[in-house]
Amino acid sequence: MSAHRPAAPDVAAMDERLVAELQHLDVIICCGSGGVGKTTVSAALGLAIAQRTDQRVLVLTVDPARRLATALGLREIGTEPVRVSRARLRRAGIEVEGELVAAMLDMKSTFDRLVTRMAPTRRDAKRILDNRFYKGISDSFIGSHEYMAMEALYELHTAGEYDTLIIDTPPSRNALDFLEAPNRLTDFVGTKMLSWLSGPTLFGMRAVNLAATPFLRMADRLLGADVLSEVAEFVADLQKIYGGVQQRARDVYRLLRSPQVGFVVVSTLEPAPFAEAEYFTARLHEYRMPLRGVVVNRTLPESLRDRTALATAQALADDAGLPAWLSTRVGHRVAPDSVRAIGDRWLHFHAMAERDARQLSRLERLGDAPVVRIPLFGEDVSELQGLARIAALL
Amino acid sequence: MLKRRIVFVAGKGGTGKTTIAAAICLLAARNGKEVLGVEVDAKGDLSTALGSHGANFKAAVVQPGVSVLGLHAEEAFQEYLHLYFKVPRLARMTPLSRVFDFIATAVPGPRDMLVTGKIAFEERRRDDNKRPVWDLIVVDCSSSGHVLAQLRAARAMLELIRGGLIRGQIEWIDSVITDSRRTTAVLTSLPEEMPVVETIELRRDIASQGTVHVSMCVLNRMPPEPLPAASRRVLADLTTADEPVRARLPGAARIGADLELGARLHRSAQAQARQLRASIGVPVVQVPVAAARTGLATTRAVAVALSDAIEARR
Repeated sequence: MSAHRPAAPDVAAMDERLVAELQHLDVIICCGSGGVGKTTVSAALGLAIAQRTDQRVLVLTVDPARRLATALGLREIGTEPVRVSRARLRRAGIEVEGELVAAMLDMKSTFDRLVTRMAPTRRDAKRILDNRFYKGISDSFIGSHEYMAMEALYELHTAGEYDTLIIDTPPSRNALDFLEAPNRLTDFVGTKMLSWLSGPTLFGMRAVNLAATPFLRMADRLLGADVLSEVAEFVADLQKIYGGVQQRARDVYRLLRSPQVGFVVVSTLEPAPFAEAEYFTARLHEYRMPLRGVVVNRTLPESLRDRTALATAQALADDAGLPAWLSTRVGHRVAPDSVRAIGDRWLHFHAMAERDARQLSRLERLGDAPVVRIPLFGEDVSELQGLARIAALL
Repeated sequence: MLKRRIVFVAGKGGTGKTTIAAAICLLAARNGKEVLGVEVDAKGDLSTALGSHGANFKAAVVQPGVSVLGLHAEEAFQEYLHLYFKVPRLARMTPLSRVFDFIATAVPGPRDMLVTGKIAFEERRRDDNKRPVWDLIVVDCSSSGHVLAQLRAARAMLELIRGGLIRGQIEWIDSVITDSRRTTAVLTSLPEEMPVVETIELRRDIASQGTVHVSMCVLNRMPPEPLPAASRRVLADLTTADEPVRARLPGAARIGADLELGARLHRSAQAQARQLRASIGVPVVQVPVAAARTGLATTRAVAVALSDAIEARR
């Protein structure tokens, strides 16, 4: 079974390629399923770029920022950017040429700023911000975290304070959420969808005649007296910012497709995240957004697929005559169970490594972006030294 | 856990929720129960783990005693309108779906509540002999923190909707979810730092919401125990043995090094398991790592491991 080695990507040749490929970009977007180590990889990429270039790098993460803080050896990261000081890095034996800064995405205030900027008057903005449905949207509008991540990215990129922005995307139920988020928001505040609800075409006239149709009567009975008219009022207000939001969504998409931006897909070889990564990569292609690298995290060592080791393990597990022969060779009794246990245990890991290798061979279908494997270290990577170990592989 | 009527299986993405939910379905069915597996995100993964594929809003039998239903909020909404308002079930009720989309997008409460509402509704279903149609409903929750919103949806809606016909129904849904004799949650986690921290947080958040009872935590994918001492001594013998031994077992040194990594993985997993046990406040059962892909064979193996682990705790 192991005689055939699936063509795994030539990792050695690619070692230097990922950071070399990425360091010229303005924006690096790390995506992948939750739990694959996206935040750690984002931080490691930031560190690698700060080590190898003189750039000012900002790693932006979403709430909760604890993983990023732990990885960078910081107590906590707030919405204000925090610099990882040279002294701190030096204590961990890391020298940087550039600068490494970390910040957490401030979802709510990003959304508030967007509304304030897009509303025609301050009063309109205030009415939207005070609406109780607004809280629902800005907190949990499907895709709102994703959209705000993109919005913040756009703001930061425009401000131009950093040479490289690395964003660790929110753990979405669906990795696509954030590719589609700008459109979704546009649709959401869009005039088409709900214009009928905010009354006839007369602008400013928000009265909804709830008795007008049996349907509205039913909806009213269902939801209680004032909910529907409140929704209608809110929709009318939202429509005032529609033009601005639509324009912004176009700008964000333009940025995401520009040559200064690159996507890095992070995955483990577990079937579910891997399938998600494959799907996501295909969609990136569809959206004409550039995939610049794939990081496969927590891979088992190649030695687990070694043929010599396999033959030895099979002998230990299955060769009934081996324990007796060994006993004579080493000069004391060797229990058959103890011998078999060694073989079985290794074969168990071997089976997992084979499964990993089969998954890895599918990576070729993900396109020609550099692939980097980060081996399982056997302990959680935390603090800067661990991060530097990963950075060295990128 | 199996004595209740509804089990929510919740945890961070990638912790093996679906496999655990599927394993619980198999265990319950083996105990003679009629089980409904509910897939909240409706990607068809729960069916796959039970050896079938695809999941529809109409429950379909996937294994003896196990049916699976894929939940779509919109279909649940239409069913609801049909049941309570005799609205004909149409594929596209344009204005209605638009309002639904809008409200569901602006305030995810209704969408989430339709999910819990449908589950509560299935719990209440009776056959012609007034017997429950399902003995146990196992819910494969949507990932990450969203499950909190889902469990709390009914209550959140009560704050928003103060009148109307729907209020009484929401109160009923909330009462089903919060009834600890009927409903419980099983949390899934992995023996790694972040999943453990997040599971402890999830447990704490559920407790402070006061919504659903939590009966246990499944620590999934525990690496195998390190080699027993006798085997380690044999391994040491092999690596220091004479030429004929090395010639017959040339891979021994490599095997030793690989198993050393295995032992490290196990140590680190044990430390995380201890951390989880110390803080979670509910029983923790461990399920070993499965070498195969997700699928019925893996689910069966996990079901056996889960049942052994639960037995061992008694």
